[in-house]
Amino acid sequence: MGMLETIGSYTKLTSQVKLQKHAKGSRPYYFDEPAVDRLLAMILALASEVSVSRDRQDTLERLISDKGLLSQNEIEDFQPTKEILAERDARREHYLGQILRIVDIDAADMGRNDVSPAWEKVINSVTETN
Amino acid sequence: MNIAQHEQYRHSVLPRTNQDEGSRQEFVKSLKLFLATNISPRNRQVYEQLAKPEFERKHGRPPKDRHEVRKTMNDQSHYRFWSSMLRTSQEMMWASCQTPVERQLDQLIEQSKQATSEKSNLRLNPSLEIPKYHTAVDIHCQPGAYHTEFTDDDVAAGALYDSGVYLYAMGRMGPFNEDMGASQVAYIKEQYPDFAPKRILDLGCAVGHSTLPYVDAFPDAEVHAIDVAAPMLRYANARACSLGRAVSFSQQNAESMDFEDGSFDLIVSHILLHETSAKALKNILAECYRLLAPGGVMVHSETPPYKDMDEYDAFILDWDTYNNNEPFWGYTHELDLPKIVKQAGFDPSDVFEGMATSAFEAAQHKRTNIFQGGDFGGGGVWYLWGCWKR
Repeated sequence: MGMLETIGSYTKLTSQVKLQKHAKGSRPYYFDEPAVDRLLAMILALASEVSVSRDRQDTLERLISDKGLLSQNEIEDFQPTKEILAERDARREHYLGQILRIVDIDAADMGRNDVSPAWEKVINSVTETN
Repeated sequence: MNIAQHEQYRHSVLPRTNQDEGSRQEFVKSLKLFLATNISPRNRQVYEQLAKPEFERKHGRPPKDRHEVRKTMNDQSHYRFWSSMLRTSQEMMWASCQTPVERQLDQLIEQSKQATSEKSNLRLNPSLEIPKYHTAVDIHCQPGAYHTEFTDDDVAAGALYDSGVYLYAMGRMGPFNEDMGASQVAYIKEQYPDFAPKRILDLGCAVGHSTLPYVDAFPDAEVHAIDVAAPMLRYANARACSLGRAVSFSQQNAESMDFEDGSFDLIVSHILLHETSAKALKNILAECYRLLAPGGVMVHSETPPYKDMDEYDAFILDWDTYNNNEPFWGYTHELDLPKIVKQAGFDPSDVFEGMATSAFEAAQHKRTNIFQGGDFGGGGVWYLWGCWKR
């Protein structure tokens, strides 16, 4: 006892040693285009982070409820006002804009690759010396 | 002591997690269980309804073995998604366990020293050569594998492994990750009630999670455990001390140990053999024969052999061979037991095989009761084989 029992402070520890992050050995990819595997890995990582946030929020709600500041029902039955709804709408619009940024770029016809004639034209326009 | 069954027991060297670290680990556990329960079983349907008929149209016969099944399944979208996600879940598992270990490493090393200050029982051998089958690739994708040391008196690999195994088995090996050892020793006691070993040796003990049940089951016996990896053994020693169990740990290769002939009545291993090589396996069994006293027995557990499975079940359990840095997995599931024990000096008629029912019953509702890649501890039984020495 008296070792790791002070968990509160233990969670704030930091050490300087850096561990090896990737396993030695060639990594298998499963789709014809390995980018699909990479994107899938990113989606799972994001899914993990959303789940982590949800857990944290759940912790907060329970702590607040345990301390008697409000009950779980108050959160469930909460009715946002018109103003709150408007704020949330705006936040979600911004949020979706970030997630769907790539689609917007494509729609704006900027999603060209390196060899597109449109881009060559841009390069030419700025590299002309006379 | 009242031990909670739904979480890993926090002995004195188990890495602690903060809020988000803990949630990340819980997510990996949920993801793995979801893949095993909901995504993986559909692979059989894909095989039966799509892949197999396709193969039959092309070749005029069904796939004859796990290799042909694998080649045809490699083209199936569902299998690709499952495989890709399972591989990623393995990498996420190690990453989620590594962050807390890295952050707390100084403290964990200090804890391990404190835990062992009074009754340490560890012999390290810094000149021991780490075998090639451990250095060629990082086994089961654990970065740095068992043996890599990142600092002095390092316990990082052990701390990482202890947390990782709990997630890998999705908690279904109990709060002490001990289900393999506990189930195997229960099987031995039930099958051979008069067998009372005085000296027991656990090969490839890692953090000693399977070793400790033998201390409890045979309280009068002297229990030894070996591993090639120093960071595992330092951690194992501290863990055992913290849990109040007496085990003699030493850093040795199971292919060639420094114990006297006939030193042990019982030699065990738990999912060790598939992490070695064909040559090493021969050497290990020969060492078992040398170290056993007459009337002694060796018992090894692995997941079940392919011989009693159809080609699909063999294929899906063989996933690790090609996808999880377990290159020797497949070979050890197709052993000719009488032949290899004979080569080691045993009488092949003394070989036995068995299925040990999982000792940790509390996890039964989380088991799929099938054997498949990415579902370790889901079968509800452990396959074991062994041989007596006359």
